[in-house]
This record gives sequence, C-alpha cells and structure tokens, in this order.
Amino acid sequence: MTDTADRLQGSIDGLLHLMDRQLIDVDGLFLGKVDDVELTAGDDGLAITALLTGAAALVGRLGGRLGDELITKWGQARPAEPHRTRPWRLSMDLVDRLDSAVHLTVGRDEVLSRDGGEGLRLGSLAGMTVFEPDGDKAGRVLDARFEPRAARLVLRSLLVGRGGPGSLLGYDRRSEQGPRVLATLVRLWHRDTRVVDVDDADIDWTLEQVRLRERLEVAGKRALDV
Amino acid sequence: MKKYLGVALGVLTAIGGFVDIGDLVTNAQVGARFGVSLAWATGVGVIGICVFAEMSGRVAAVSGRPTFDLVRERVGPRLGMLNLVSSMLITLLTFAAEIGGVSLAIQLVVSVHELLIVPVVALCVWLVLWRAKFSIIENLFGLLGLALLVFAVAAWHLGPDWGALTHQATHAAKPHDEFWSTYAYYAVALFGAAMTPYEVFFFSSGGVEEGWTPDDIGVMRANVLIGFPLGGMLSIAISVTAWVVLGPLNIGVDSLGQVGLPVAVALGKIGLAIALLGFVAATFGAACETGLSVGYSVAQYFGAQWGKYVRPNEAVVFHVVILLATIAAAAVLMTDVDPVLITEMSVVFSAVALPLTYLPILVVANDPDYMGEHVNGRFANVLGTVFLVAVVAAAVAAIPLMIWTRMGQ
Repeated sequence: MTDTADRLQGSIDGLLHLMDRQLIDVDGLFLGKVDDVELTAGDDGLAITALLTGAAALVGRLGGRLGDELITKWGQARPAEPHRTRPWRLSMDLVDRLDSAVHLTVGRDEVLSRDGGEGLRLGSLAGMTVFEPDGDKAGRVLDARFEPRAARLVLRSLLVGRGGPGSLLGYDRRSEQGPRVLATLVRLWHRDTRVVDVDDADIDWTLEQVRLRERLEVAGKRALDV
Repeated sequence: MKKYLGVALGVLTAIGGFVDIGDLVTNAQVGARFGVSLAWATGVGVIGICVFAEMSGRVAAVSGRPTFDLVRERVGPRLGMLNLVSSMLITLLTFAAEIGGVSLAIQLVVSVHELLIVPVVALCVWLVLWRAKFSIIENLFGLLGLALLVFAVAAWHLGPDWGALTHQATHAAKPHDEFWSTYAYYAVALFGAAMTPYEVFFFSSGGVEEGWTPDDIGVMRANVLIGFPLGGMLSIAISVTAWVVLGPLNIGVDSLGQVGLPVAVALGKIGLAIALLGFVAATFGAACETGLSVGYSVAQYFGAQWGKYVRPNEAVVFHVVILLATIAAAAVLMTDVDPVLITEMSVVFSAVALPLTYLPILVVANDPDYMGEHVNGRFANVLGTVFLVAVVAAAVAAIPLMIWTRMGQ
C-alpha cells in the first residue's frame, strides 16, 4: 500500500471517505461495511462517535424514502428478537486508522454491540433537502465535511447541490483528477454545488431537512472550480 | 528466473482461461455465418477487457480493494445493489451455462443424457470451490484449457485462403445472405462475451487472494497484455475453423458438438479428443471462476469475509453463497433448458450490465487517495473513456437488437 496515511488525522468527506468502506479487524479479517455513521452533538458540534453496521443500518439507507418503513418491517420479521431494529455499533475508540478501508485495533469476535440507533446518523443527513431562507429549494446535502477537533472528527461544512449523494464521485476533492471527460461532466453537473459552513445551516433532524441562514450563493463557496 | 516463470505461467493460464463457453459458442456461431468479418468486435472486446482488467488489477494490487468494494464505495448502497442484482443474475446465468458446457462436453464422450451429468458436474465444481487451493483452480484449468490451441492448429491445417480471410476481416462487409441487424447483434454479443463483468470481479479478487503488492503490477500487466490478446486470437481461430468447414455447408451452430466438428474434420479423432479436453477444462475453469465471482460480489457488497486464502469456516457467508449459487445453477439446467441458449442470453445481458461495473473502476483508478503514484496515466484514461462510451453504447443497443433480430435468427 503506497498511501498508508491515516485519513482520521485530517479533513474527510463523510460519505466519500468513510461510508460504505470495508471494516477490517486487527488480524486482517473482514467483519462488515460501514453501513452508517453515528453523530453525537458535543461542545464543538456534531462529532463522529461510532460506526454502525449490519442490516438494520443498511436497510434504512437502501430504502430511501421507504427507509423507516423497511426498518420497521425488518424488526417485525422476527418480533422475538430484542432490539432488532438497532444496528450494530462500533465505537470510534476501536478504530486504528482509515485508508482504503477502516482498520480496527481489535479482533472481530464479539466486538459488536447492539446499542446503536440512539444517536443521529450521517445516512439521514446525506440526501436531506436544503432550503433557502425564503423557503426556495436550494438542493440536497451531497456530502458532509468533517475536521479533527480534540481527537474527534467534527462536522464543519455541508456540500449542497443537485443530484444525489455520491454523484460528485470524489471530484470535489481533486478537480484535476482524470479522466478529463468525466471530470468535465461532473464539473458541469455540479457547477452550482457549494460548500456551506455548518454554522450557516440549521439541520432539522425530525423533518429531515436543512434550512440555510443566508442564500446558497452568498453562504457557500463553489465545491468545484469551473 | 522465478519471475519469468511466474510471467510465463500467468500468460499461459490467461490464454487458457480467457475462452469460456460464451466465447466458444458465440465465436463458432459467428464464424459459421459471418466468417471473420466480425473479428473486429472480438478485437475491440479484447482491448476493452485488457484496459479494465489491468485497471482493476492495479487498484487491487495498490489498495487491496477488489472491484465490488469500489462499486459500493463510489456509487453508494442503492445503485450498488442494482449492480449487485443485475451482475449477479448474469454471473449466475453464465455459471449455469459453464456447468452446462462441461456437461455437454462430457456427454459428447460418454453419450449419457446431459441431465444425469449436470448434478455430478455441479457437485464437482462445488467440491473444488470448497476444498481446492486458489492457485490450483487458477493454474490447473488454465493450463489444461491450452488444449484449445488445437483450434489454431486446425485452422492452419485446413489451409483456408488467408488472403480472402484478411480481406474479410479488414472490410466492413457481411455475407450476402445476412442482415446488418444480425451483424450488429452478433457484434454486441462478441463484445459482451469478451468483456463479461465476472472477469474483472474474478481478476481483481484473485489479485487480493494472491496478495498482490505494487511490486506485482509488472507481472500482472504482462499476463493481461500478452495473455488476453492471445486468448482473443484463439477465439478468432475458432471462428476461422467454423467458417471454413461449416460455412459452405450452411450449418448453423446450436450445439457444442458443432463447435468441435471442424477440428474433427481437420485433425481426426486425436484432434477431437484434444478439443474435448479443452472444452471440459475451459468450461470447468470458467465455472469455478463464475461460481467464485458470485461469492466475491455478494460478500464484498455486504462486507463479509470472502476468499480462498482463509479457511472456509472463517468465510462462512462466502461459501454458503457459493453453495446456493451452485444449487441454483444446477436447478436451472435440470429444467432441460438448452445451455447454448443460456450462453447466448448471458453474453447479451452482460453487455447491458457493464457500465455500472466499469465506471467505478475508472474513477477509483484515478483517485490518488487509493492509488498514490499508481494512478492512471493519460493512455489508460483515453482508452478507459473510449471504452466506457463503447460499453454504454453496447448496453443501450443490446436488448433492442436482441428483440429486433429475435436473438440473431
């Protein structure tokens, strides 16, 4: 591996760099995917506190608008099982480093605990509809940018634009990245996509929407150079 | 010295492993009807699979992440699931076709009804996937598959008019009794047969199985860039023999026996025996590759442990998926459906599912976060972009052409 740099030490895009990555234990064995990420409000803002894995986390993201319904059904599929709708949780304390996968400091046997589900989820933040102060639709949350603060990764800004999460394909991080035709297409599609500081946005977790305090063109700077 | 042996072995297995039931049937069918006038489609497909196999192999060597990991990481769980379901259906279809191909080849020798052979073959495939080492699966059947070189010998022995063949291959023309629509349909089929998605799933996961590092990129490249084109030449040799022997008699190919017929005409019993050995080895090897690919893709999507490099009881989900896939493939064949028909369908549907697999490979192969200094160069990017466009075009055209020409009738 040429790039063994630990991404947890720098700024990351939650969806691009962390979500859906392979979880690898201390012996190199696989124990799942990062099916969702738990966010907890703290002094600095929303911090990444745990990784969630398993069907109860994945099903919600797979379902889109039907996500909550699917999770309920998932629970009803086996009523005798307690807390079936809670995903498996893996505290960030157990994460050693993040590169092309998430490497843990422990073995995979009995490391998961089923106490996820209380906190907020990156999976529900992604794709939330974003509104201008006057109520016009500004776009959707395409990704969320985190920065390290006191050994935790804290939410600093949101990428807002058209299309769905993942449609940036990673080009917001390096717009010179090839192949040229593809980069140009993504740049064209996301010419109005902007990075908004999290202090300029109010996230309503129950309505699953974000309201900006200033108009998007004013509040955010372009995510990709045109 | 050991390195050269490694390259030689890799190239040989790439040649032997390149041809599967899809290539055998499609190339013989096309050869009998169109001669080598569609050789360009095989050529284009071979260049395409070289480009993307090299890319996915390089990503696997540098980052340790096989193709389906990339699919889910870049396009997310929903599009990833769409890709998983569609490529799984195709790979399962191909898996059934390969098991059917092994059975048909054995049937040619023992003359027992195919339905009695299928369960035995399926059991053998599963036992190999469960117990055998990865290197055995890859090398043994790849090497035995070299028996198919008998088609090249037969082509040479039949002594066709090489000048006329060259003219046919280099001019945009078709035999007068064929339509341009069927010509286009078979062009897409040959393209799909050469670029089937399971090949990159298997190739990149195989790289992880064998523990490739950036130091292995050179050997991997040599295997791909020498082995696959030679495998493509072998495919064209099959077309040539079919054209020379079956073409004048107006025999269409709808059974595996007819694929081997020209070899029997050219080289007699011994030749046919070698061709049959090649059929069995190539289809059995491809059955193992497709079976593993089903397990790889499902496990990689859900993040479960996969691979032959760990003990089966450490990768339970992976082995259960393979077992279920083998049962499903055998069940499909036990309905007495014609394996040749399954093959034809699988190569056309392959063309449809290609874009969702190849786009994430192209994007990640350019991402320095994964690749460091090993990102795509300009050459790989130009070819990658061109083939992505070609793949999308083939995907859009495949189903309408299939309906319009009634599967090339």
